[in-house]
Amino acid sequence: MKKLIPAIVALVIVALMALGYMDAEHHSRLHPEAASEPLNVKATLFGHLGDAYGWEVPFNHSTRIPLPVIVRDHAGSWHVFSSDRVTGGATYDGFKIVSDPDSELSGKIVEVLDDGSEVRPWDLSITKNVACIFIAALIVIAVVMSLRRWYDREGMKAPRGGRGFVELIVDFVYFDTIRPIMGKHAPRFAPYLLTAFFMILTLNLLGLIVIFPGGANVTGNIAVTMVLALCTFALTTFNGTREYWKEIFWPEVPVWLKCPVPLMPFIEFLGIFTKPLALMIRLFANMMSGHMVVIVLVTFIFLFAQMFGTAVGGMTVVFSMAFSLFMLLLDTLISFIQAYVFTLLSALFISMALVEPHHVSE
Amino acid sequence: MQLFTPEFGLAFWMFVAFLGLYFILAKWGWPAIIKMMEDRADLIDKGVALSREAQAQLDGAKADRDKLIAEARVEQAEILREAAKMRNQIVEDAKAQATEEAQKVAEQAQLRIEQTRKEYEHQMRLEVTEVALQIAEKVLRHQMENDKAQQALVEKYLAEAENKN
Repeated sequence: MKKLIPAIVALVIVALMALGYMDAEHHSRLHPEAASEPLNVKATLFGHLGDAYGWEVPFNHSTRIPLPVIVRDHAGSWHVFSSDRVTGGATYDGFKIVSDPDSELSGKIVEVLDDGSEVRPWDLSITKNVACIFIAALIVIAVVMSLRRWYDREGMKAPRGGRGFVELIVDFVYFDTIRPIMGKHAPRFAPYLLTAFFMILTLNLLGLIVIFPGGANVTGNIAVTMVLALCTFALTTFNGTREYWKEIFWPEVPVWLKCPVPLMPFIEFLGIFTKPLALMIRLFANMMSGHMVVIVLVTFIFLFAQMFGTAVGGMTVVFSMAFSLFMLLLDTLISFIQAYVFTLLSALFISMALVEPHHVSE
Repeated sequence: MQLFTPEFGLAFWMFVAFLGLYFILAKWGWPAIIKMMEDRADLIDKGVALSREAQAQLDGAKADRDKLIAEARVEQAEILREAAKMRNQIVEDAKAQATEEAQKVAEQAQLRIEQTRKEYEHQMRLEVTEVALQIAEKVLRHQMENDKAQQALVEKYLAEAENKN
């Protein structure tokens, strides 16, 4: 009996999906001009993984929440307009969005010059990802300030509910991770590390929500992770002690390893850059791949429906949804893990740059 | 590939937003929260230490109390024993005193009896002497001319009477 219920639920889903497909097929037979062109998996995939100038709304493929486009033309003057004006291939003020899915600039705004060539302008648009970043920042501020206000109001009373959860995370990240790693330097770098953790976590989780305030693949975008990694890189480099630089350029290894061929210094020097690079790639790849797998699983439904017919497409729904659900749960875990790993490694790298001479050289 | 090319605009806004977030939280958020959490942890640690100490004190007090009770018990037993001893002593003393007293009384009684008896004897002797003298008077009156043998006999009787006493 217990096994019967999921089976019935699955059957109902399949039936509903099949009905929907039949209706769609009927619709396309009636209106052959609206018949969907073959599914472009690549375009779908990268369309969802990439950035966009508008924000999709659920159950609607044409309407988008317009966002401001801020671009500088080749003459040097700035243009600010709503993304509504350039959606659907329209050109506004000489700017348009490249619709060709195979183009290198697909989905980006380009300026159409007088000679017909398209160039990429300086683009500071508030895109979907940028908007999501602002929303995440506001959420983080709200969450942290709410905890702060609780303390101001309630004194030392332990916070309840959501604030208690935030405090638990702070406890876990700061008291159990940052402080043991950084020791006496911890209070100095705690604001950066905690901010980074909460920002990444919020962005990660927002990315898992498919509708409006979420759905943007922000931490799965290399520009975002690059900025975060650069912050850690800057803190590491500018706070490096003499001992840190000495260990890079004149490490304690047998002399023949560093002179005349500076093998070890070269490797150590490379390490300065590989560490933040690893931070950048790790977060980016993890988050992007999580999104990608879910999108591919969903795409399977349409792909199979196209290849083998409606019934197969309908059947695929069950499996795709089950696996998507599993992947999304896994991604929730990964959201925490990656935010934590970024913070942990940043703390580690920064504390490595703060080394004191650990043994007296003769 | 577009996916692997960082977009400048996005990086710029991310940097701006992150920096802003950092400054806001570094000024008003994290230090206060961390300090409060540290203070609370300290308070809890102190509270635990304090309660441990109190518990230890309580345990000590309990031990002290038990010791005091035990001591009191010992003392009580001692006092009881002492009291019993004293009681016995008193009884003993009283008995001895009573015996002594009784003896004294008895002796006095004896003495009095003796005295009385001696008085009686004396009296009796006086009376007997008087009687004897009366007898002798009578004898003398009736037999003024009696021979000396009779007189000697009278004396002999008297002596005998005296000896008898």
